[in-house]
Amino acid sequence: MSSLSRRTLFIVLALLVNFITISQGLAALSLSDGRGGVYEDLKWKALLCCELPFAQTLDGGLSEHPPVGQCRLLNATKPEFSRNCLDILCWLEGERTNLICNAKSHRAAAAASLLTVRPQLVVQMNVLSDETNHAAQCAGEETAMCSISLHGNDTTVSLTISISLNETTALSPKMQVTTHHLRRPDPPVNLHYNVTTEGEVIFRWSDTQPDSYAINYEIRYSFNSSLQQWEIVKVKGRSWVPLNDLSSGIRYMVQVRCQSHFNYWSEWSQPFHFTLDVSYIPAEVFTTPGSEVTVSAVFHNRSWSASKAVWMLNGQVKIPESQYRVINEQVSAVTVTVDEPGFDTLMCCHQWGERFKCIIAYAKIYTEGMFNADITCQSKNSEVDIMSCEWNKSAWAQVTLLYRQYTSMCETISEMEGSEEAEENMSLLKECPSGAGDHRECTLRNLSLFSCYKIWLEVEGGRGKVRSFPVYVAPIDYVKPSSPTVMEATTLPNKTLSVSWRRPHLPVYDMQYELRFVALRGMANTQWKVIGPLLESLAEIQLEESCVQFKVEVRCRRLNGSGYWSDWSMSYTSVVYNRKAPEMGPDFWRIIQEDPVRSVTNVTLIIKQPVLAGDPYSCVEGLVFEHQASGRAVWSNETTLVQFHLFQWRKEAHTVTVMSRNALGISTRNRNITLLHQPKRRVVRSFSVVANASCVYLSWSLLSDHPVPQSFVIEWLDLNKDPEQDMSLTERLQWVRVQSTSRDRSLCRRFYGSEEFTLYPVFVDGEGEPVRYTATRGDPAAYILLLIIAFLSVVLFVTLLMSQNPMRKLTWKDVPNPNKCSWAKGMDFRQIDTMENLFPHSEGLTACPLLLVSESICEVEIIEKPHPVMLEHEKDNEVLIYNSGDKTTTDSALLADSSEPLSLEAATAAPTPETSGQSSVMYSTVLLSDQPSLLRKQQESLSSSSDEGNFSNHVCSDSANPRHSSSYNSVEEFSETSDQDYEASESTGAAKDLYYLEVNEEEEEEEDEEEIEETQGEREKNETVMRVDARPLLKGKDSTAIDSNNISHSIPLYLPQFRTECINPP
Amino acid sequence: MYFPALLYPCILGMLSLVHGIPIHPDNLKNLVKLQADTIILRIKDYNDKLKLYPKLLIGDPELYPEIPADKTIQGLGSIVDTLTTFQKVLQRLPKGHVSQIRSDLSTLLDYLKERMTSMHCTSKEPANGRSLDAFLEDNATHHITVGYLALDRLKQFMQKLIVNLDQLKSC
Repeated sequence: MSSLSRRTLFIVLALLVNFITISQGLAALSLSDGRGGVYEDLKWKALLCCELPFAQTLDGGLSEHPPVGQCRLLNATKPEFSRNCLDILCWLEGERTNLICNAKSHRAAAAASLLTVRPQLVVQMNVLSDETNHAAQCAGEETAMCSISLHGNDTTVSLTISISLNETTALSPKMQVTTHHLRRPDPPVNLHYNVTTEGEVIFRWSDTQPDSYAINYEIRYSFNSSLQQWEIVKVKGRSWVPLNDLSSGIRYMVQVRCQSHFNYWSEWSQPFHFTLDVSYIPAEVFTTPGSEVTVSAVFHNRSWSASKAVWMLNGQVKIPESQYRVINEQVSAVTVTVDEPGFDTLMCCHQWGERFKCIIAYAKIYTEGMFNADITCQSKNSEVDIMSCEWNKSAWAQVTLLYRQYTSMCETISEMEGSEEAEENMSLLKECPSGAGDHRECTLRNLSLFSCYKIWLEVEGGRGKVRSFPVYVAPIDYVKPSSPTVMEATTLPNKTLSVSWRRPHLPVYDMQYELRFVALRGMANTQWKVIGPLLESLAEIQLEESCVQFKVEVRCRRLNGSGYWSDWSMSYTSVVYNRKAPEMGPDFWRIIQEDPVRSVTNVTLIIKQPVLAGDPYSCVEGLVFEHQASGRAVWSNETTLVQFHLFQWRKEAHTVTVMSRNALGISTRNRNITLLHQPKRRVVRSFSVVANASCVYLSWSLLSDHPVPQSFVIEWLDLNKDPEQDMSLTERLQWVRVQSTSRDRSLCRRFYGSEEFTLYPVFVDGEGEPVRYTATRGDPAAYILLLIIAFLSVVLFVTLLMSQNPMRKLTWKDVPNPNKCSWAKGMDFRQIDTMENLFPHSEGLTACPLLLVSESICEVEIIEKPHPVMLEHEKDNEVLIYNSGDKTTTDSALLADSSEPLSLEAATAAPTPETSGQSSVMYSTVLLSDQPSLLRKQQESLSSSSDEGNFSNHVCSDSANPRHSSSYNSVEEFSETSDQDYEASESTGAAKDLYYLEVNEEEEEEEDEEEIEETQGEREKNETVMRVDARPLLKGKDSTAIDSNNISHSIPLYLPQFRTECINPP
Repeated sequence: MYFPALLYPCILGMLSLVHGIPIHPDNLKNLVKLQADTIILRIKDYNDKLKLYPKLLIGDPELYPEIPADKTIQGLGSIVDTLTTFQKVLQRLPKGHVSQIRSDLSTLLDYLKERMTSMHCTSKEPANGRSLDAFLEDNATHHITVGYLALDRLKQFMQKLIVNLDQLKSC
C-alpha cells in the first residue's frame, strides 16, 4: 500500500513537474520565440536539467527494464548548478552557413575543478532541419557539439538531447531554434524617393523579407562627400519618411537601418544617391492616342518659379502656355494630348531671359498602339543573305528592332496576323544584333532569300512598351543587285556607240538594264544621257557625231517584281574605231605671258578642236606637241585632246608643231609656230574695224614691198566671260585665223563695243608686227534718237527758212522780256542797233532760249593740227562718243552721212608722233605709213573736209533747239566734257579759240585771251583756219548760199548764245 | 656560325625601338588638332540630329560638375584626366552613333597617353570617379540629355584644346 501510494505520489509529482516544465517552456517560447531557450546576443541558450533514475534504482531495487530519466528546460538566464544539467548554446557560423549547437554538462565544469574521477555523463545530440530534413548527430562525454549546414537559408532546427549515466538515460524534450533570430536583420533595400504633387519628397525603402520583425528604422543622410556630418531621422513602424529641407542641385547620400524584435540593429543599407532638381510626376506615362495626359514638374530649386515654367515637347516644340497650370510656387503641370502612337518626351524648363534653362531629366510618354516607323529594307550589295533596314524614329527614343522569320509567303502572313499576334512565340523572335541605341539602321544576316520576315520596332519603358507597325519583307523583293560589268564600248565610224556588258551572277532572276553615257569632250557641260530599260546585255546607240569617246555606265534591277536598281557600274571609256592615222594636225594659236616674279615667259597654246565631221575613219584621239628650240634637241609631249598646252619659252627661237594622233599613228600635215624674240617686221599698212550691233567688220591692207604672210590671226578678248570667274587669260582670249589672201573679215557674234582687236601677220619663220584696234560703239537707241532729232531739225530749219519774218516776230514774243535780265538794266532796247551797244562786256551774258534765224547761222571753224595720237586721248573720245550720243556732232554726222551707228578710232600698236594726225572728232581710219609727213597731209585734208562737212550739216539742222543741239553744242560740250583730257589737245583748244576769235575778231579783249592760250604754232594754224573760216560753214553741203555781209550783220544779235553760261556751265 | 643567333636579337631590339619611337611634338600637335576637329564635327552632327529648340539651354555650366565643364588645361596630365572622364561618360551611353565619337576619343587618348609615357609624366586617377559613376547611374534613364550635355562639354573642351596645343609639351 505504501509503495502504491508512493508510486501514485511520484506520478502525480512527475506530472506536476512535467506540467510546470511544459508551462515554463511555453512561457519561454512565447517570450523568446525559441522553444525551450532564449535568443540573446545572436545566440540561442537553454538549460536542460535531467533527473536520472539512478537514485530510484538504488532505493527501489533492481528493475526489470532499464531506468529512464526525465529532463526539463529551465530558465537559462538563471543557471541552476546541478550535476545533471546541461548548458545548450546554438549560434550561426558564417553568413547562414552552419548552425552550431553545443551542449555542455555542469558536471564537466565541476570535474575540472575537483579533479575527481567519476562516471562520465554521455551526451548525445540530434539536430534536424525542418525544411531541408538535414540531420546531424553528435555525442560526447559531458559535452557534445553539432553542426548542421543551412545552405544559406533561414530555417527552424529541431534539437533533442539525451544523456546517459551508469546505464540510465534521460531524454530532453524537443527544442526548436529559428536561425533567423540568430543573426542581425538584413538592412532595408530598394531605397527610393517619391515626390508628391505638392512638392514633398517622400523617402521610401523595403525590408528584405516581408515578415520582417523590424520595428524601428534609422535614416541618415549627408551631402557631397562630407560623410562626417549625418542628419539622422528615426522612424517607428513604417518604411517611409518625408524628407524636408533638402536643397536642389546637391547630391545626397542616404542610408537606412532597421531594428528587429530582439533589438538587433541591422547594418546600414547600401547608400542611395540622389539629386533634386526637377521631378516629374509621373516620370513615365502610358496612354492611348487622343487621351489627355497631365504631367507635373516640381522645381526643387527655390529660385525657380512655376509661373515661369516652359514646357517642351521632345525638346523641339514649345507647348502653348494655355496648357500650363500652376499648382503652387514650385509645381507646374501641363496637359497634352498625343494623337499618334509612339514615344514622346516632356521637359519642363525655366525661362531665363530669352532662353530656357533645362535640366537633363525629362518625362516619357508612351502612347500605345502601333506607330509608323517607315521601315525600308534592301539587300546589301551582292550579299543577298544580308539585308539592311532603315527606319525613322524620334531621336529621343531608344528602340529595339525585332524580326521573325516565316516560312510562308508574305501575302499570307498578313492574313494570319490576327491569330499570330496573340500567340507570338517569343522563342522565334530575334533582336537586331547591332543593338538599338540611337541607330536608325540594322543589318540582318544569314537570311533566307525566299522567306518572309516580319520586322518591327519596340520602344520599351519601365512599365510597358510600344511598337511600330510591322513590315513583311521577302528579301528577294528588296535585293539591290551588284552592278553589271561593262565589257566593251566602241564608237564606230557610222556614228554608233556599241556597248556590251555582263550581268551579275546573283540573284538569278531576269534582269533589266539602264545605260548612261556622256561624251568625254567638253567635260564642263557633262550631261548624262540615259537609255533604258534594256532587256539584253548589249546596246547600240545612234550618235550625232563620230570620233567621240564616251564614258559608259550600266546598272540593273529585277525585270519583274519589286527591287532596287544596282549602283552604276564602273565607268568604261569607249574606244574609237579607226582605220588610219589622222591626216592633219589641229590649228592653234599662242598666248605669251611674262611672269615677272619668276622671270620666265609662259607660252600657252590654244588648240582648236579638230573637225570631227571629217574622215570618221581617222579620228583624233590625242595630240603630240613637238618642240624644237634653237641649238637644242627636239622633244615632244603626248596628250589627250586638250584645249591648252603650256610651256616655258627661253626667249630663243622656238618652234612648236602640234600633231593629231590616234591609235594608228600621227598626222602628217601639221601646223607649227615659231616664236622669235628679235624685232618683228612690219607689213600691215592699215587696219580698220567697223561694227554694228551684231557684227564686226575688219579690213586691212599690207605694205607693198613686203612678203605676203602665211596667214593672219585676229585676236580679241571675249568680254562675255567674267574676268573674276575665268581668271585665266586663255579662257577669255578669242582668235581666228585668216588666209593670207584675205584682206578683210567679218565676225558676227556678241560684241560689247569695246573689244581690242589685234591683227597678227604670221610668216613661216615667225610673226610680223601686230596691229591693234579698239572698237567703240554707242548705244543704238541713242543713235536712233539722234536720227529722229536730226530729221526734225531739218524740217524745222526748212520751215524757218520759209517763214523767216513771221518767225522772227514769233521768236521775240517767245523770248523772255530782256528788260528783266540783269545785264539789260537801264537799257533801251529800241535804241540798240549794234552788238556793242547790247553787250558792253562779255561777263554779262546769260542763257536765254534764243533761236537762230536763217541769216545768222553760226560759224564754226575746224582746225586740223597734227599731234601725237595718244591712247588716253582715244579713250576719252570713246567715252564721250559713247555716253553722249545726243551731244556729239560726230555721231550725228555719222548718222546723217552713212547711217553707221558706230564710230571707231584707231591707233597703231606702236604709234609715233609723226605718223598720225587726228582731229578731236576723228573716227574713221588711221593710216600707218613710213612717210609721216605725207600721211599728215592726207590726214589733215581728210579730217578737215570730213569734219567740215559734218559740222556744216548739223549746225543747220540742229539750230532749232539749243539743248539738243548737235552742232555748236558739240563744240562747246564736247570741249567741256573732255576739258581735262583736252587740256593737252591743241586741236580742240584751237577750235575753241578760233571760235571766239571768230566772234570777237574785232575786239582787242579777246585777243588777249588768245595770246595766253595759243602757242606760236597754233597761231599759224589759226591763220590757216582764218582762211578756212572765210568760207561759210553751210557751204560745204548745203546749197543755200549765205551772204557774208548778212552774217556779219546778224552775228552780233545771236553770237552771244555760243557763249552762254547755260550751255556750258562753269 | 653565331651570326644568325646574334642577328635575331638585334633585329628584335631594333623593332622594339622602332615601335617605341615617340611621335614628334609637332606631329602630335597636328594629329591632336585633326582628331579634335573631327570630334567637334561629329559632335555637331550628332547633337544637330536632336533638332533642339534653339532657345533651350540644357545643363548650366554650374550644374552637373561630374561632367567636366570649362576645365582649365595645364599640361598633358590634365588633358588626359579630363578626356578620360569624358570617355567614361560616353561608354555609359547606349551604343549607337556616339560609338564613333567614343572611338575617336579613345584614339586621341591613346596618343596622349603614349606621349605622357615618352615624357615620363606621372598619371593619376581621375578625382571624381565615384561621383561620376553615381551620377551616370542616377541619370541612366535620361541618356539622351546626358549624352547631349556631355558631348557639348566635350566639344568645348576640344575647342579649348585646339588653341592650347602648346600644353602638349608639358606634363
